[in-house]
Amino acid sequence: MLCAKNITKKFASNGSVVPVLKEVSVDIAEGEFVSIVGRSGSGKTTLLNILSTLVRADDGELYYQNNNLSTLSESHLNRLRQADFSVIFQFHHLLPYFTVLENTLLPFMRSLRSVNKEAVQKAHQCLDRVGLADKADRLPGNLSGGEQQRVAIARALVKSSKVLFADEPTGSLDKATGKQIMGLLSELHEEGLTVVMVTHEPAYAQLAERIVTIEDGLISSPADRHFFL
Amino acid sequence: MNILTIPLRNIRRRPSKTLLLLLVFSLGVMSIVALYQVSLVVGHSLEKKLTTFGANMIISPATEKLSVSYGGFHMGDMLVDVQSLPEERTIAAIRSIELKDRISAVAPKLVTMTKVNDTAVALVGVRWHDERGIKSYWAVRGEFPSAPDQILVGSKASAKLGLALDDKTIIVGQDFTVSGILHETGGDDDTVILMNIDTLQALLDRQDATSFIEVAALCSGCPIEDIVAQIRQQLPNAEVKALQNVVNQRMASVQFVQKLALSISLVILVTAASMVALSMLSAVNERKKDIGILRSLGYGKSQIFIIFCLEAGFVGVLSGVVGYLGGFGASFKALEFLSLSDGVSPVFSVTHLLLACAVFGFITIVAAVYPAWKGAGVEPSTALIAL
Repeated sequence: MLCAKNITKKFASNGSVVPVLKEVSVDIAEGEFVSIVGRSGSGKTTLLNILSTLVRADDGELYYQNNNLSTLSESHLNRLRQADFSVIFQFHHLLPYFTVLENTLLPFMRSLRSVNKEAVQKAHQCLDRVGLADKADRLPGNLSGGEQQRVAIARALVKSSKVLFADEPTGSLDKATGKQIMGLLSELHEEGLTVVMVTHEPAYAQLAERIVTIEDGLISSPADRHFFL
Repeated sequence: MNILTIPLRNIRRRPSKTLLLLLVFSLGVMSIVALYQVSLVVGHSLEKKLTTFGANMIISPATEKLSVSYGGFHMGDMLVDVQSLPEERTIAAIRSIELKDRISAVAPKLVTMTKVNDTAVALVGVRWHDERGIKSYWAVRGEFPSAPDQILVGSKASAKLGLALDDKTIIVGQDFTVSGILHETGGDDDTVILMNIDTLQALLDRQDATSFIEVAALCSGCPIEDIVAQIRQQLPNAEVKALQNVVNQRMASVQFVQKLALSISLVILVTAASMVALSMLSAVNERKKDIGILRSLGYGKSQIFIIFCLEAGFVGVLSGVVGYLGGFGASFKALEFLSLSDGVSPVFSVTHLLLACAVFGFITIVAAVYPAWKGAGVEPSTALIAL
């Protein structure tokens, strides 16, 4: 479904060019739950950003459903992010001046056409699904970290994405809340959603079907779920 | 909820910043509107005052010039079919044109030659009120004639005819008293005797006749050619001529005021637009996180561009309303303070209000183009670093 081939990415730092990813290849099947793990600065977030098309690779190719995304224009990639891909982040993933419901509906506010009733209905369903039906009118500032993360997940669900990219989704949460979020991601995966998650929490990484380990910009080994044990 | 919700919510999110920006731009709009209104009124008032310094149109009977020569000997030119204009009908026709509001004064004249004290002199019959309306520069020793048997004598004519103040003289067999001597004007009036047109018409037995009519028209609202054309249409048998040099001189004075106002307005506008641009630039830098979130949700560069432009546009439209109303009110105060209104006051126009909203909305959008373009150019990856 999603296939990265020999991906290379370099960043300029203090006048020198630092390679972050060195010819990394990874293949993600439809409906799979993949964890990307590694030490800080190993390049796991960069890989997730490249897979989710938020960052373009310097070299290598990225395929989605057999289409080479590396050659696609910005507008095509936008369309992909509008429909098929969703990304949730560790922090600040909601617009603070929009209510929970409005944040969930953000993907539908791209034009002058008003958000239709069906979308609003679906947003309510998604908020219900993540346990926030009663907080639809609240501003993100009045929610806990876990609740904010659940709004981001609801926003991913509302547009019926095929792949959910999660960058340290539990990184800023306490253990109990982190568990809830992971439980939610597992549920969604069981329902058929492809999940690609970056984490440094061994326990959460093991919830995935497959763990990809990155070390100094290289995939050290396609680790199995017992890697952290 | 649609894309407009995002900029509107942003405006609400930063009330103090938005209010400050609105205040600055509204003050700019207010100054421009006030300047525009004041320049219009001052221009109108100035032109009205200038019309008292002479007419800018002459209406005379249609004539044909014939060069007379015989056997190679040129005997000069003669006017064929010289008629007079009927005063009442001609003035009524002038006052009935579509642009009649632009007619400031109509001064009929009857001219004839006669002998006074055995010296040839031109007699000019005028309507004193109308004549003084277009010749405010006249200064008189003595008084303007107030009775039918009183005359006003030009300075050169007075010297030539030996007429002094309160002297009695006989003109066309009738007694007249010199009520005033005109100070030297440097014009034709210095060499003539002026009297009431009714008296001269009776003396010459040419009731209702005029030799020509001088018209003072206001030209700032429309070209003089339009007024001339409309009078020609009403008076097909008359010759209507615009004194272009007078018109141009006056328009130059009026336009100077308007050009000055326009120049100051442009400076204010550029300053206010720069403030909007700076504010939007800082907004783009502050909101890289928001840009990152929106880009991750599939918002394209064009949509980010539109969001920032719309935000500026809203401020512009709102400033247009506040500034127009404020400027309109301020123009009254300014005219009152400068004692310039001269009976003319600014006129409120809904069309102008809508136009101000559209123009200033457009200007703020133009001012926001660069910041919006910069915001749209932020790559999701760069924005994500901000996250």
